[in-house]
Order: sequence, then structure tokens, then C-alpha cells
Amino acid sequence: MSTGTFIERPRYQCALGGALVTINSIDRAVAIVHASPGCAASADGAATVGSGYWGTTVTDGRATPSTNIVEKEIIFGGEERLAEQIESTLKVVDADLYAVITGCMTDIIGDDVKSVVGEFRKQGKPVIFAETGGFKGDSSVGYEFIWDAIINQYVEKGLPKNPRLVNILGLVPAQDVFWRGNLAELKSLLTAIGLEVNTFLTPFDDLAALKTSSQAALTIVLSDVHGDKAARLYEEAHGIPFVNEPLPIGPTATTEFLRRIAERFNLDRQQVENVIDEESRWYYSFINPLTDLFTDQDFQRFAVVVGNADYAYAATRFVANDLGWIPYFAAITDVLTDEEKKRVQERFAAIEPDLRPKVVFETDTSQVQARLQEELAKEDDPYGTPISPAFVLGSTLDRPLAADIKAAFWGISYPITNRIITDQGYVGFRGGLRLATEIVSVLVSNR
Amino acid sequence: MGLKEDKVVPGREERVAACMAYGGSACGIGRENKVCLKNSERGFSQAGLCQLLPTLGMLLTLPETAVVVHGAIGCGSTGFGTNVSMKLHHLLRGNPNAKDGIWVSTNLEEADVVHGGEGRLEETILEVDRRFAPKSIIVIQTCAPSIIGDDLEGVIEKVRAQIDTPLLYSHCEGFKTKIWATGYDVAFHAMVHGFIEKDREGRPPRKEGRKPEERPVVNVINLASVGRPDEQEMERLLNAIGIDVIIGPNFGSREKIRSMTQADLTVSVCPTHDDYFVDYLHTEYGIPFVLKDMPIGLENTRNWLLDIARHFGLEKEAQAFIEREEAQAKKSVEKFLPLLKGKRVFLSAGEFRALVTAGLFQELGLEVVGLRSYHHDDFGTEYYGKIVGAQGGKDFPVDIANFQPFELVNLLKKIDVDLFAGHIWDNAWAARLGLPTITIFRIFDYYVGYRGFYEVAKKTARILRNHSFNTNLSRHVPGAYRQEWYEENAFKYIKSFQPEETSEPESAAA
Repeated sequence: MSTGTFIERPRYQCALGGALVTINSIDRAVAIVHASPGCAASADGAATVGSGYWGTTVTDGRATPSTNIVEKEIIFGGEERLAEQIESTLKVVDADLYAVITGCMTDIIGDDVKSVVGEFRKQGKPVIFAETGGFKGDSSVGYEFIWDAIINQYVEKGLPKNPRLVNILGLVPAQDVFWRGNLAELKSLLTAIGLEVNTFLTPFDDLAALKTSSQAALTIVLSDVHGDKAARLYEEAHGIPFVNEPLPIGPTATTEFLRRIAERFNLDRQQVENVIDEESRWYYSFINPLTDLFTDQDFQRFAVVVGNADYAYAATRFVANDLGWIPYFAAITDVLTDEEKKRVQERFAAIEPDLRPKVVFETDTSQVQARLQEELAKEDDPYGTPISPAFVLGSTLDRPLAADIKAAFWGISYPITNRIITDQGYVGFRGGLRLATEIVSVLVSNR
Repeated sequence: MGLKEDKVVPGREERVAACMAYGGSACGIGRENKVCLKNSERGFSQAGLCQLLPTLGMLLTLPETAVVVHGAIGCGSTGFGTNVSMKLHHLLRGNPNAKDGIWVSTNLEEADVVHGGEGRLEETILEVDRRFAPKSIIVIQTCAPSIIGDDLEGVIEKVRAQIDTPLLYSHCEGFKTKIWATGYDVAFHAMVHGFIEKDREGRPPRKEGRKPEERPVVNVINLASVGRPDEQEMERLLNAIGIDVIIGPNFGSREKIRSMTQADLTVSVCPTHDDYFVDYLHTEYGIPFVLKDMPIGLENTRNWLLDIARHFGLEKEAQAFIEREEAQAKKSVEKFLPLLKGKRVFLSAGEFRALVTAGLFQELGLEVVGLRSYHHDDFGTEYYGKIVGAQGGKDFPVDIANFQPFELVNLLKKIDVDLFAGHIWDNAWAARLGLPTITIFRIFDYYVGYRGFYEVAKKTARILRNHSFNTNLSRHVPGAYRQEWYEENAFKYIKSFQPEETSEPESAAA
């Protein structure tokens, strides 16, 4: 996953950060960060501000147990300090899973974290570990590292299968700013069509479900790139097949998603269609009264979408299929391998040609803007406004881009620092209604 | 050694014998052996900060700068938070359309850790200069490149020859110090070397001395935890007694920072924050300084103002002004006093800020029942005794902790507290226990001087009237710690080290 270059205003934390926020999202799990002072604060500080002020609960933020190693340990090794910290954390912090994760310094000096943690595991303590030195990658890489540790060190093996149980992966906390609301809605939809659902990373999931997640019959990875390795590990270690699905935002994508999953499980068709009808009715009962506005005020827009691979595609599809907009440009800001880029490209290629946007892979905020300007320069428009009226869906960092092309703007991707995100989510019919409501609200906000 | 000669800024453990682990009382802390204090550690610890964060916070205030964080990608990821607070600071300075700050990470990856990151750093600086044409470029060295031996100065000198943009650099590896306040020193070091000592025009000459008819000009050193309203209050106080003010170096341009070498006096707002820079201006430019108080609370404001006035023979003007202002301030808070009288307050912040704010609350009739400081150094020592003295000798627990909320929560469960006054990120711990909380700084509000005295009184009264948000939280949010922990001594995990016997007793060595 090497980029070989610097990254401007990175829209992710390091591997340690991804692992840390994943653990922080699991109720009654706590991280023990084995790193220099400041690593834990940097790692989740950015995530908790950038995700619409996720904020802190009681065992994260400045309460995150951390060895805070300094020069002495860098020279003489930090294993003794780590052992002391694990032991004291078990005594002080009231949790049921303790995850040791490491920073650059401890990985570089080569502390044998495995054997330190091994001593506690031998005594039956619920401690796992992952080596997550920041230089190994970004948040998504850290998410994969910690899932590897969970799957191989925590999840029980050899349990009987539950043919109706699915595990959901792919939503990296904070990277998907709406992960809690999204997971809650997914659980509700999939439960309604007859499945049992493990979402793991909301405050309403528990560790028991994580421990017995090897019983699932399928892993649904709501991404083409994130969570893919974890899904493969579930397959290797616990024999669970997986499927990659795009994030289903709005009626069109959600209907397709539910039908595909239902078919896979051979669920009762009538029940599935009833759920789709009911949810559609909800969506259109609220959208229908807006028709005057939509048509009279010409709310069709050219769409520019900036975000990670999951959102860039899902939001593009939503505005194309459900709002009837014209996707023009999609910038994917993840750090991706060529192989991963190919998978994302293939996903976009499935959009009908006339509504397929120009897709670019660009990590740097200023360069996303430059790439868009390059595209616009190719347009033949004597008045200089080829994509007016336009609407930008991106991160708070992309507001200058929107201002530059005189487009309206709404934040859907990390970082969002200009509003608060609690239980909002965009998946499903109700999530689509929320996104539609917010977009239209922007269009009337100057009244 | 000092700022000018230091190639790498020393950790504050070494420079001012700062410590970050002590549990005891206000009366006890002054009697502690400094060497023991300095070496104290914790057997259970929670996340602190590293010096990179305050450094980044200060350096990103420089106008139209670009910050290059040389390290793994995470060290550069905190720019958002800093950017948000920068934008708010700009808003308060009448600049609502301030551009986003520019920060980049050199994004050191596994291969760079093996082969070195100097090449990547050089390319990054050059590309940042080309792409953004910033007014200055700041390079921040983090842990990973330092441990693999990247030659930061070597790269800087090489690039400096190729671009016109002023280049600032700083070593702020997190593992080098437990005291993150070292980061302030690091930022001052970067500004001084970048804009003064190694500036392309050379350093400004020493000022010849003030002519009798000229109004005195003083430097007031600002900090991220002092908002624009407080700067305005300080300006008002000093202008009123005939003194002009340069506020910097944060938010200052290169020109403004250079002009600070031409002042007649340097005034510190927070000695803990400023001493390294103050000492530089004194040593190199002969500028005398006032480095003793923070103008929060009536007595502290009086002392601060009189100390400055004395330098210019303006005591009489200052005295008259102070009496007028104090009378007005005291009258303005009268309506709040019945509600505040006898209330028990626990404070938590950087040491100096916590101590002077404790003094302010005492002036409003509250009693100090506990105090947590992020670290301890000598600038604060005498204040502990002063506070105990001001409440008839009533001692109180003191926790020196680089956050460590597990100790704080333990203490708050044991002490009878009516009000918690905390730095940002501290208040939530008390709020979840159902206590009324007042934030010890917010960049939108006044805390300094007479206006600050009134505003804090008003705010405290408002908060004491209704804190149902916090009460409700305490009924619905589970605690983080095992029951056994609340029964333990809050300072159980602090390990004190006795210094080894030295062959020569100190007295013989002297």
C-alpha cells in the first residue's frame, strides 16, 4: 500500500489510529497503547474531531491506557513496562477485552509484545495484541490488523454454524463518519427480512456476539476495499464465505442489496418484498410532497463527490438513481493499491455510461481541486460554467473546492468538523431520505 | 545554554526540573525533593500528549504557513483539530474567511523506516513550496525519522539554498520528553531560528534605547489558551497606563516576530509557557522582562500591572487605574457573591493557570478543595502556599498528572466538591459524576483582568443555577473503573524514585 510520496492534510490516521478507534467502538473493550506519549492522543484525537465530534466515552481519549514510553525504554526495551501496564490495567479498568496495540517506536525497537501478552493469555486473561506501528499504513490498515487479532486470538473456534447469522464488516469507525447510524439501520433492515445480524461496532453490540461470530453463515463486506482482509480471515479461520457489497444508500441501491442477500439465503420472497414495499412507502411518502420544490426550482444538479472508495461510489449512485442528478466527477481519497483501484473502477464501470462520472484517485485536497479544474478546462463552454448548477458532496476540507466552482456543498465524508453526527446514517431507505432531506435543506438554506 | 545555542531543545525535565507525577497536598509539594519529583512515574498510566501537539498548535498559527510533519502518517493527522481552533481564532480576529491551514505528512512507510526518509523530506519541502507558495515552511521532526537517524538539519540546509521561503524546523519527538510543555520551547526555538537568527536578512540589530518622549512598547506573549478577548483586555490595561503593546509571536507574521526584538520590555502572560523565549530576548537583545504572574484574579492582575508599570516609572498611573477598575469589578460581582460564597471548587489545568484561577475563585468567596496540574515546575511552587494561606491554612489534595483521569475520578469521588473548573477535555470526567463544571478557558471568553474577573463570576453563578445536563449524565453513564479502584488511594500507581547516594554531598560540591 505504498504511495511513495507525501500526503497533504491526510484524511486518515495511522494504523495505530485505525486499530484504536475500532477497539473504542466495541462496548466493554479497551485498548492498551504501547507507544510514545502522544500517540494515542493523536490517533484518536483526529478521529473524534473529524467524525462530526464523535467525542470520547470513558475508556478512550485521554483515559486510554498507554505505556507512554520515553527514551529509557527506547534504549533498554519496553517489555517490562508493558507487562506492568497490562497488569495494572486489568486491575483498574473495568472491561472484558483488553487489546494491546503498538506504535512506531515499539515496533522499530522490536519489543516482543507477543510473548508479554502470551503470559497473560496463559493465565486466562482476555488480552489480545496487534502490532500497529503507524508507518505500516493508514486507519484502514489498522482496522484490518485489529480484526486479524480479534479473529485469531479472541473469536471462538469450532462452534456450530447458525445458517441465518451474518457478520457485517467494512465500515471503519470515523472513516465512515456515519458508521453507527449506518450499522444500526443495516441491522434493522436485515433483521426485518429474516436474518440475524452482528454489527459489532455500535454501542448496542456486545462482546458475546463478537466471541461467537464464527457461527455466522456469511460475512457481508460493505466495501470493495476496506474489511476485505478481515473477511478473508473469517473464511480461512472459521470457514465463513463473504460477499462484497457497495454501501446501499437510498431506495434503488437498498432494494437491489436486500434482494441479492435474500436470494443468497433463500429467504421468504414475500417477506422480503413486503419489507421493501414498506420502506419504499416511508421514503416516498416524505419525498412526494417535495415534488413542487424539486421540479419548480429545478433541483437537478451536476454532482461532484469526494470521499473514500465506499462513499464516492455509493453517493454517486444515490444522486444518479434516486435524485436524478448528473454525476460529473468522483475523487477517491483513500490510499489504495493498484489492485484495489481496479476493483473500485469496476464498481463505477457498472454505472450506465451516460451517468458515469470521471473517476480519479487522489489523496491530496489541493490536487483534487486541480484535477477537477483540468476536467472543466476540457469542456467547451464559452460562458465558463459547464457544470452549473453543481453540488459537491465531500468532506469539510472540500468546501474551498465547492466555493471555487460556485457549487452548493454538503459533508458526507471524513473529516466533518462543521456539524455534529450522532445517530444519523445514510444507508437504507431511511438513510437515503435523510441524505435527500439534508441536500435539499442546503438548497433552501439561504431563504 | 539557551535558545540561541541549543541545537535541540532540551526536555523540561532537564531544563527546569519539571515533573509529571506527584500525589500529595498543597502544603507538601513545596517541600518535595526536586530530583525525586522529576523521576516519578506511574505503574498505570493513561494517554498523555506529546510535545508535537503543542508545537503544531503554535506553529500553525503563523499566517499562510505550511507545516511539513516528517514522520508516519498519524503524526500529521491531528492537523484537523488544530485547524478548527485556528479558524475560530481567526474568526475572533475579524477574519471569518481565513483559509484552511496547510499541513502535509511525509508519510513515512515501512520501506522508508529501513532506508531512511531524507529524500522524501527534501522532495516534500520543495513540492510544498511549489504547490502552495507559503510565507514560511515549518518542518517538524517526529519519533520515527529521529530513531532511524534522518539528518534533519542536513536536509534543511540543503533545501534552504534552493528556495526563498523562510524555513523553520523543530525536533519534537514524543519519546524525548514526558513534559509536553517542552513543545512550547520547541515552537519558540523554530520561530526564533527561522525568522531571526537564520533569516535571509540576518537578525535585526539591537535597539538603541527608548527616547524620553517615546511611549514604552512591551511584548505581550500570547498563547493558544488565551483568546482574542483576553488579549484585548491586556491591551486595554496596558494602553490605559500609557504603554503600547506588541502581541506575539503566535498569529504573528515574520515582520511582527522580528519587531519583538525592538521592545522595551517583555511581559509574560504565563511564565510556564514563555520563559525560554523571554530569556532569549533578554540575553540576545537585552530586553528586561516580567515573568512572575498571570493577570487572572484581582490580586494577580494588580501585581502583574504594577510590575510592568514599575519598569517605566508609571506606578502612580497604574495605582490610580487599578483602584478605579477594582472598585468597579468588585461592585459588578456583588449580585453573584451570595450564590458563590463558601462553594468548594476543584481545579484542573496547566499548573500556572490552575493556580491563578484558584486565586480568582478565592476572591469570589469560594474555597479550594483540590487541584490537578498537568506538570509541576518552580514557577508554581510559591502559589500553593499562597492559596493555602488565603483560606486560613486549609490544605487540599494536589495531583500532578499529565491528565490521568483515573486519579482525578478517584479523587472527585472522595472529596466533597460543589464546582469543578477544568481545562478543555477535563470537564467531562467531572460532568459524568454529576458535578457542575466551568471551563477554565475558552477562546471566546474573558478570563483575564477586570473584565475576566466579572465574566468568571457571572459564568459560575449561571452554571451553579442549573447543571441538570451533568446530573442526568451521571445517572445514565457507567463508570470506567473497577469498584476496587475507587477504594484505593488515588496516588497508588505513582512510583517515587529516591536519588542514588552521591559520593559528594551537595554542600561539599558547592
